[in-house]
Parts: sequence; C-alpha cells; structure tokens
Amino acid sequence: MHSVIEEIQRFSPGALFWPLHSEWAWLVYALAFACCAALALAWMAVMAMAWTYGERKIAGFIQGRIGPNRVGPWGLLQPIADGIKLLAKEDVIPRISSRVLYVLAPALVFIGALLPFAALPFSERLVPVDMELALLYILAFEAIEVIGILMAGWAPGSKWSLYGGMRLAAQMLSYEIPMGLCVLVIVLLCGSLDFTEIVAWQSTTAWGLEHPWILGWAIFRSPAALLAFFIFYIGGLAATKRAPFDLPEAESELVAGYHTEYSGMRFAFFFMAEYASMYVICALCAILFLGGWHGPLPVPSVPDGATITGRWLEFTGSLDAADKAPLLRLAAASFELFQDPQSMRIMLREAIGAVNMLGKSFALYFIMIWVRWTLPRIRIDQVMYLCLKVLLPFALGCVVWTMIQVALFP
Amino acid sequence: MAATETAGWLGANLSFWAITILVLVSAAFTVYARSIIQAAYSLFFTLLGMAGFYVLLGSGFLAIAQVIIYIGGILVLIMFGVLLTDRPIAAQTSSLKWTYAAASLGTGLLLVNVFIRIILSADWQPASALGEPREAIAELGHVLLGSQLLSLELAGLTLLLCLIGAAYLVRRREQ
Amino acid sequence: MNSARENRSPDAIESLRTEELMINMGPQHPSTHGVLRLVIRTDGELVSEAWPHIGYLHRSFEKIGESVNYNQVVPYTDRLDYLASMNNALAYCLAVERLAAIEVPLRAAYLRVIMAELNRIASHLVAFGTYALDLGAFTPFLYGFREREDILAIFEQASGARLLYHYPRIGGVARDIGPDTVQAIRRFITVMRAAWPEYNALLSNNAIFIKRTANVGIVPRAQAIAHGLTGPCLRGSGISYDVRKAHPYSHYEDFTFAIPVGEGKMGTLGDCWDRYWVRMVEILESLKIIEQALDGLPQGPFLAKLPRTVKVPAGEVYVPCENPRGELGFYLVAQGKPQAMRLKVRAPSFCNLSITNALARGVLVADVVAIIGSIDIVLGEVDR
Repeated sequence: MHSVIEEIQRFSPGALFWPLHSEWAWLVYALAFACCAALALAWMAVMAMAWTYGERKIAGFIQGRIGPNRVGPWGLLQPIADGIKLLAKEDVIPRISSRVLYVLAPALVFIGALLPFAALPFSERLVPVDMELALLYILAFEAIEVIGILMAGWAPGSKWSLYGGMRLAAQMLSYEIPMGLCVLVIVLLCGSLDFTEIVAWQSTTAWGLEHPWILGWAIFRSPAALLAFFIFYIGGLAATKRAPFDLPEAESELVAGYHTEYSGMRFAFFFMAEYASMYVICALCAILFLGGWHGPLPVPSVPDGATITGRWLEFTGSLDAADKAPLLRLAAASFELFQDPQSMRIMLREAIGAVNMLGKSFALYFIMIWVRWTLPRIRIDQVMYLCLKVLLPFALGCVVWTMIQVALFP
Repeated sequence: MAATETAGWLGANLSFWAITILVLVSAAFTVYARSIIQAAYSLFFTLLGMAGFYVLLGSGFLAIAQVIIYIGGILVLIMFGVLLTDRPIAAQTSSLKWTYAAASLGTGLLLVNVFIRIILSADWQPASALGEPREAIAELGHVLLGSQLLSLELAGLTLLLCLIGAAYLVRRREQ
Repeated sequence: MNSARENRSPDAIESLRTEELMINMGPQHPSTHGVLRLVIRTDGELVSEAWPHIGYLHRSFEKIGESVNYNQVVPYTDRLDYLASMNNALAYCLAVERLAAIEVPLRAAYLRVIMAELNRIASHLVAFGTYALDLGAFTPFLYGFREREDILAIFEQASGARLLYHYPRIGGVARDIGPDTVQAIRRFITVMRAAWPEYNALLSNNAIFIKRTANVGIVPRAQAIAHGLTGPCLRGSGISYDVRKAHPYSHYEDFTFAIPVGEGKMGTLGDCWDRYWVRMVEILESLKIIEQALDGLPQGPFLAKLPRTVKVPAGEVYVPCENPRGELGFYLVAQGKPQAMRLKVRAPSFCNLSITNALARGVLVADVVAIIGSIDIVLGEVDR
C-alpha cells in the first residue's frame, strides 16, 4: 500500500522536490503530515455531519414522516444549520466540576473517534497513512475513548453523569473482547494485520474459482467468519453506544446520561464522535468481512507498483534549480496524466474500489440506523449478559473453529 | 532513532522533547496531585507519552500494545476503582513528613545510581547499525510461541488465577 | 471509614459500599407520564425504595364540583384523565342521571358507548406509544399516533374538539353524528384491524421488549386486590373484573365482547407484559363493541328533554365506570341545590400508582421506568 508520505519518499530521487535533500526536508514532511491530518479530519467531519442528516431522514421515513426538509433542498443543509446552532450556544462550565477534565473529556472522545480515520482506506491506494498494524491501531483507540467518557462522566460532578459514564465504560470495555476475538478470526484466516493484504486475500482463489468475485469475501470462506461478522457488528453497535445498546444515552431514563452537563460545541464533539466511530466500525466490517474494495463492482487490474504519483513524476522528468519554467512543466505533466491510459486505469481502479468500499460501509451504516429506530433499548444487565454469556462464548468458538480450519486446510 | 529516518534531525528531536516534557510533567502531576482522580487522569498522559516513545523507537506494535493494555486495561481498572469507592478517599491531600521525604530521596538516589551504571556500562551502537526499522510481528509471534513459550504460559496461568480470584471475591455470599 | 483492624480481613471488601444515591425523577422528566415526582433511593444500581410524590397537577376539581352547577361540572371532568375525556364525562353524567332519575334515550346511550370505546382505543394507543418510547423504541409511538389521528378526526367531527370534548352531557350527548361520521368510524375500524398485527410484530413480539417487560413488576393476585388496582393492571394479574360486565351501564349489556385477562404468556402472570397485552387486546374488543353499536344504532333523540339547570334531589350515589385506566367512580352527594354538596372522584390512576413502591423494590432503575409505564397513569386524575 502506498500512502501519500511513502510516495513522496519513494520518488524523491526524481529530484523534483529538491527540498527533500536539504535540511528543509522536515518542513515538507510536516506539510505532508498536515495534509493527511486535514484529510482525515475533513472526512470525519463530513461523515459525521452527513450522517446526522441521513439518520434524521431515514428515521423520518421509517416513522412515516418526512424528516428535515426546510433547510435547503430536501433539507440537505440541515447539518450546517445544526452546526451553527451548536456553535452559537452559550458555553456553560458548571461550578462544581474540574475545569480541566470537563474541557478535556470531549476532546479525548473526539480524538479517540478521529484517529482511526487516519488508517481507514477508501481503496487500495487511497489512504492517509499506510500502516502495517492498521487493524490493531484502530482497536487501540477504543481505549482512549473509554477514558474520555469516564472523564466526561466524572468531570461535571453530578451523579447522573457519573452513572452514565460508568455504565458506558463498562459496556464499551466488555464488548471490545468479542470484537477483538472476531478480528482474530480474520487475522488467523488471512495471516496479516494489514488491510491491503486482508482485502487482497479476499480476492484470491476460493470455492475453486480463480476470480471468486463476491464468493471470495471472508464471510463466505468460513462459517466462523460469517458468525464473527455478526458478532463484530453487534459488538460494534454496543461499542458505539447505538441502540439497542444506547442505555447511557437514554434520554428518557436518566436525562441525557453522561453528557447531561455538556452543551453547545462540547456536546457536538460527543455527537460527532459517535457518528464517526459508527463509520469506523462499518468500514472495518466492510474491509475485514465483506471484501473491502473488491466488491460487487469489478475492479480493473493494473501492474504492481504503478502509482499515479509515479506516472506523474515520470512525466515531469527531472527538474533542477536552473529550470526556466518549472510550473509550466508541472502543468503540462498534469495535463498529460489525464491522457495516459495507464494512469486513467489506475484512477478508475481506485475510484471503483472506493465506490465499492463506501457502498458497503454505507449499507452497513444504514442498517445501524434502521436497527436503532426499530428496536427498544436493552437493560444494562441484559447488555452485560449478552456480551459475556452469549457473544463471548460464540466468539471463542469461532476462533477455535478457525484455528482448526487453518490447521487442517492451510 | 527511527524517527530521524523519516523526519530529519529537527523533527525527531522536536517530537522526542515534546513527549519527554509531556511524560515528566504528567508524572509529576500524578505524584503531587490534589486528588486521586486527578492523579489517575495524569497517569493517562504519562502512559500515552510512553506509547509515543515506542513510536519514536520504531515499534508501532509496542505502542499500540501499551495503549490497549495499559490505558485500556490497567488505567480503566484504576479509574473504576477510584470512581466507585467512597468520596473521602478522593479528598485526601498529601502530607509531607520528613521521614517519608528522606526515604523517598534515598530510594530515588539509589535508583538514579542504578540507572546511570546501566547506561554507562551498556554497549551503545548507533541506530543505523540495527538496520531498517520494520514491524517484526511475525518474528514476535514466533518468539512468543517458540523460545518464550514457558513465559507466555506462565503469564496466561497468572491471568487465569487473577480471574478466578476476582470471581471468588465478588461472589454472592449466602448470609 | 472502617478501622484498620476491619481492613485486614477479606470480608472488608463487603464493607466497601457503593454510594447510596437519592435520585429524583421528575416532576419534569421524559419518562414519568406527566408531572410525577419519583424519589428513588438506590444502592448502586438496585432500587431500594421508590416513592411517588404527587400533587403537581392539583386543580381543586372536587372543590370546584361543589361550587358550580351540575351541568357546568362536565367540562371539568374532561380534564381529569385528559386522554379518556369521553369516559370521564360519561361516568359523571351517569352519576347525576341516576340520582335525578333521568332517562337517557337509547340513541344517546349507544353514541356514548361508541365514543367511550373510541376513546379507550385512543388512550391505549397513547399508552402503547409512550411505553415504547420509555423503553427506547421510538417508532411505535408514531405508528400509534397515526391511527389515533383518525380517532381524533372523528371526535372533531362529532364534538368540535380533538382532546377535551365536552360531548357526553347530562341526559345524552351534545350533538348527533351524521352518516359521514359513521362512515369515518367504519373506515377506522378496518384500518385499526389492519394495523394491529403491525404493532405486535413491531413491539409485542419483539425479543428485546419481552426481555424488558416479562417477569418485571409482577403483581400477584392478592396484592392487586389489596392495593385496589383496577383496569388492565388488575386484569393483567389474571382477575377477570370489568365494570362493564360486572355493573353494566349505558346499555353495555347489549353488546358481546370478551374481557382480556393476563395469562403469563411471555413471562409470569401479572408482569408488565401482561398488563401491556391486556391493553392491546382490549383495542380489538373495543372495535367489536363499536361495530355492534354502529350496527344497532337506533334513530331517536340524542338528548333527553331537561330544564336548563338540572334539578337533582338530595341523596348520594356512587357510580363506577370502566375507564381505559381502570375503575373511575364518582361519589356524588346532592342536597337539592343546583350545586352538589360533595363530588368525590375515585381515580383509577391514583389507586394504581400506590403499587409503585412495592413493585420497585430490588429492581434496576431502568425497570422502574418499565413499571411506571405499564401501570399507565395520567397525572390529571391522580392529582385532580
């Protein structure tokens, strides 16, 4: 997999970016990192905002009403109106709280939801940061979210928030275990923690077919993986505190639970973090179990190692400091890029991969919303029972089955 | 250090010193905090800083393991314990007695002595001698299940004992 | 805190108490149906006591009943249980008519029955929707209100109002209904019959709903009778007592209908699910009654010929009626004047609420919400 940074690094001998060889290299890298961070943040914000609108519309249709339709055509500008409203609210910090923790808690929860976006790919080569341990990295940020929520429950100093915070932390932590075990199933079957390899594995030979199309997906390769998919999805519902596991958010029971005392933009942080982590779970499900970007839409193949940046650098040739019109050369190279068949193939491949990936993630997201507006809430002790006495044994069973399967049929 | 490869001299140093300051300041907060809850939350930053050090050293796996186990497991456990028990514990302030101060100073000096001896007597090589940094997950797995299998099994056994002990402690008693 | 010696024994862990919290739910709270204040004492997550504090909606109904004329009391009765307005007014009018020996024309009696049963359905739909809302299912509320809109439109045609109708009057009803209203009612019956299985699929047979309500808030027979429960709360515990069958009024004896009784189908007899299920089946039974009443609706006057101010001779009477929430009784003491001497209301929700503390012992806070929702109270009649 080639992230933006690696591509810059790899092709620096092209001497196009002459600063890379000087002591200003760190600035270029810093800018590149900043761009990646901005990309991840932008995608997270877009996902959060768009799906607040999507949820309200879908909820409306499920309930036999229309949903937002006043702000903009079909109410599409509703998230912007919501954002403005939340920003304009008075920032209240209760007196009986620890100011530092009160301010820090939404930030931690937001960070815990935002950072996985740096590792989530859209397609094989469209990823902000390529990591070998991307899977493990995403699972680690649940931990930071939990701490943030415990902080959020404690900081305001009211017993309502404390109740909600502790219940939520217990719920999130318990469900991490079956989720981790389900991920282990895929890691066992595939043998790698890297997203590219997992998805590539799901497009290799299966069921006797060389190009198995959908049948290569993990859920069709092993019944354990199918069960693990459902367990992971349910665990994801619980970990993102969605209904039917939204007891900590239960407005009708404990006023707004752990975020009672938060208003305005601070509340918006919690809100956005929830929608963002829902997307992370859906994207993870799509990559691990549903074949990622090898989806229903067929993806054209390209030779290994060909990248857009590589082709572009080839077109620009080598520039040195004495070049008379470097910008003109760059512009000409960019123009040539769009006429080159191979780079068009690469772009098409990435685009279709992204469509597959996003299509699956969004379908799973839609199901999450559907489930929320259909089912009642589960009580906290029933939530714990479900996790520890139902999901955990089944997840363990899946792992054992997978181990046997991998041992017998390598 | 691995960071030097990626970000150049300035970047590596900047990140190293930033993380060092974070770790030291939060550790100081942990020790001198007014309430145990603030101490617990400063510990969070200390552990996060440690994870940052592992990243700088080139081992993402250790960093993520640090976050999952220390922050996601141990720190959360500490916080639950702190938040669930009675308030009077939270209101304690640290009292400074000269016997405590002398004992801690002595222990600190002893530790510093040990560390300096270790640092001076180690055979330090430049980072480039280690070769390119890469994730050695596969090798780690082989080592854990190969040469270090006994340690792994002992750790697992210890965890099992802890679980059984915890379950025993919280069982319902027939009064 | 414990002394050092106690801390050495392993049993010291037990003395580490989790904090005992006094939680105040309400009076403004999304889950208490109205301005009910519940003071809950919890030990960690389990409730040790739950005491309802009422009176936030007290409007001196009974005192007003002593100062205004008999006719003028009728709009006030609407506002007792504001979700079952027709039933309240019917009960009061029956009390006055029995004391004053007023003969209600048959058409008026049948119209009263139709409206009372429609109001029963509307009230049960609200109970269904808000119960689901309490438990976190947001959609059934809107589905229930979709059907309830039809009922409110019918009421608007008949009486001019959507919630507080002032329709049953002393001696009959306020207005006659025309053929289009009859058609609307028949249409509604079909729609409701079709929607009923939808509600069951969505909520009643939902595994999560059953887990939240079955085996929760079990009311044994003896306790139900001892606390004076009536209505679905009583019938949910297996006791088949309905005022419409036991002491028929307003020609209810002309109609064939069954009394649904809890059977412990999903859990234990007398749990929250049973009470909820009784309400659901009562909707079907009410539809049967309405159909029969429409089929047999006679022609005739809709209001008896009465003087402007009703003259009620001295005497006393207690008239019970089957409201959606239980037995609403009016105890009327007349003294020959245009005003009553004493008008006492036996409100079903008031008596049903008395069981809250007994049911809430030792359950989780989330269950308290389920229990209150299954008792189905309306603060208007609890506080009067």
